[in-house]
Amino acid sequence: MESELIIKNLHANIEGKPILRGVDLVVKRGEVHALMGPNGSGKSTLANVIMGNPKYEVTEGEIWFKGENILEYSPDRRARMRLFLAFQYPMSIPGVSVANFLRRSLEAVREGNKPLEEGENPTGKMAKRKGIPPGEFRKLLQEKMRLLKVDNSFINRSINDGFSGGEKKRAEILQMALLEPEISLMDETDSGLDIDALKIVSESVNALRGPQLGILLITHYQRILNYITPDFVHVMYDGCIVKSGGKELALELEEKGYEWLKPSSDEENEVTVNA
Amino acid sequence: MPDTQLIGFSRGAVEELSHQKGEPAWMLQKRLQAWDIYESMPTPLGRRGDLGTLRMFSNFKFQQLTPYVPSNSNGTLPALIEQSLQEALVDQRSGLVVQRNASVERIELEEELKRQGVILTDLDTAVRDYPELVQQYFMTTCVPVNSTKYTALHAAFWSGGVFLYIPEGVEIEVPILTQIWIDTPASATFAHTLIIADEQSSVRYVEEHNSAFDGDQPSLLNGVVEVYVKNAAHVEFSNMQDLGLNVWNITNKNAVHEKDGSTTWVLADLGSKVMLSDIGVGLSGNGSAGELVGVFFTDHDQRYSINTLSNHAAIATNAETLVKGVLTDESRVEFIGMIRVQPKAQQTASFLSDHTLLLSQKCRAESIPSLEIGANEVSASHGATTGKIDEEQLFYLMVRGIPREEAERIIVQGFFEPVLQRIPLENLRTRLRRSIVRRMSGSYETEADTWVDAQERWEVEGVDEYAVSLSDKPVEEEIILTEY
Repeated sequence: MESELIIKNLHANIEGKPILRGVDLVVKRGEVHALMGPNGSGKSTLANVIMGNPKYEVTEGEIWFKGENILEYSPDRRARMRLFLAFQYPMSIPGVSVANFLRRSLEAVREGNKPLEEGENPTGKMAKRKGIPPGEFRKLLQEKMRLLKVDNSFINRSINDGFSGGEKKRAEILQMALLEPEISLMDETDSGLDIDALKIVSESVNALRGPQLGILLITHYQRILNYITPDFVHVMYDGCIVKSGGKELALELEEKGYEWLKPSSDEENEVTVNA
Repeated sequence: MPDTQLIGFSRGAVEELSHQKGEPAWMLQKRLQAWDIYESMPTPLGRRGDLGTLRMFSNFKFQQLTPYVPSNSNGTLPALIEQSLQEALVDQRSGLVVQRNASVERIELEEELKRQGVILTDLDTAVRDYPELVQQYFMTTCVPVNSTKYTALHAAFWSGGVFLYIPEGVEIEVPILTQIWIDTPASATFAHTLIIADEQSSVRYVEEHNSAFDGDQPSLLNGVVEVYVKNAAHVEFSNMQDLGLNVWNITNKNAVHEKDGSTTWVLADLGSKVMLSDIGVGLSGNGSAGELVGVFFTDHDQRYSINTLSNHAAIATNAETLVKGVLTDESRVEFIGMIRVQPKAQQTASFLSDHTLLLSQKCRAESIPSLEIGANEVSASHGATTGKIDEEQLFYLMVRGIPREEAERIIVQGFFEPVLQRIPLENLRTRLRRSIVRRMSGSYETEADTWVDAQERWEVEGVDEYAVSLSDKPVEEEIILTEY
């Protein structure tokens, strides 16, 4: 099955308030798509809705991945299909070590797309899970850590607990490297990074880039695109993708800002903003 | 050995018990005075608007209990108890006491410790052999008879019990283990632990409370622990309470300190239907210190009332109280944590925190940390939180492929982990981790164990340790680590 992520006419609300108003997007393996747009345009919402965050309510539209409509799937099942989200604000989970968490996560993801049947698994574990021996896991993890130049001490810490902004973002990339997703959504991975951290993170993403991986790179600024060259650029405005193009579109945005892309609105109480 | 068993508590029952034990007159007097105090004190009912644990206990059918279940084992222990001694919280022990219902049935102490003058015996023997020590220390200043109505009942009907005396300068590194077993329905057990740690001595002491009987005729364990810590002595007392849901539990524990003495209380409460727990740290010696680490996990319709007291009554004393608990189903827990700083207790440092996680809609927790400060040179703080599992944390773990229920379990384990790290006994940490997993997943599973073992290896022993299976079970493939 082709690893395509297809989003059709997606509408979603949070607490009754519409955020996505008909998004159409196709991301294939091997492609890098940049999704740009001003604050509040719905970029992060899109990433969260693709992963199934229960905070958002999908009111219309479809999300297809590998030929399945995943809209009714739980977030963990979507992840086991090898969809990945690098969070804008990774949660810290005190008391749970990165190493244990990642091993369990890798085991789950390797298990693949199996639905958890109601009642059969009261423990929440998948049937006949094949564990990864700690030694093998450790070797794999260290390999990825070397690749991403992540410090060894990091694996014994609690997940994101007391991590600096840069460390959190790098931890997300490390998870992405380890879990080998087919499509990865990267939500503002560049935000809050200084220029050195941005370079490291970009290099890491470039190292993972390849025909096996499709990336939706959500960003507010054009800056990261100096390091990661996208194949496609999309601009989101007010819950819709209003313009798509090649990498040159990003430069145009850098120059002109977002206002010129504002869709001609027929909403009566739209506030006029001076460019 | 009595031919008929008494039912219910009465002055006559006190006399009968004392008579059966062949006690000296002074102990009978002490018991009878306690009975009078019990009768004169009102039943504690709690505050208006609390969660009703004390009120529930006041309706307990005390008069249907057998106040004293004598030994019938002729020195042999049931297989279940023998088995549990193999799987106890300590792999190595320097001493052992097993109390079954009202009787101590086994006592062991290393010869070397005996030679050094350590006394480990049941309390009945101590009453005969060391009357002056018992008269001085038994329910006098540490847990006075009239502390509560229930301690008075305890003083009237105590039976079995442990007496431990550690002479000056003796340090007991290998723990002494006590197991208290309730295996008779509708019985009352009043287990008493009296520890006297003389100057500059130290001891690690572990007490396990278990029960083994079926049916819903409830039994009562009403225990008192008194710890006297002399100059610069240190006592580490770990208690795991894993009683069945047909046991009601009252426990009063207190440690009193002389100059530079210190105590570590480790309390793990998982079982019993209703528990009233009072734990105190009495810092009446200059420079003394107390630490209390508490963990609880309640489910079904369990009710706990936990009261801690850090009582600062001398100069430059320290106390730290750290309690973490998880509630689920319809269980309820009331926590009242008090830091009391007496007027003369200058240079006090005291800290208290209580964090509770609620896993179900119907469970309830109430946390009341309080401060009473009479001195002016004091550093004291407290904090309490009660909340549910964070949905964003759950989503984060689920986005990494982990199913919801397992994600919840991981978050709960993470919640407990910092306080588990403070528990000195490795086996207790492991036992608690497994209990948490078991309660979260509803059954015992080896895969869950693997997670626990990994946690143990990576977080406790460190990454460079060779992995060692913590149980005697066959070593699984996953446990074998070729590289570290």
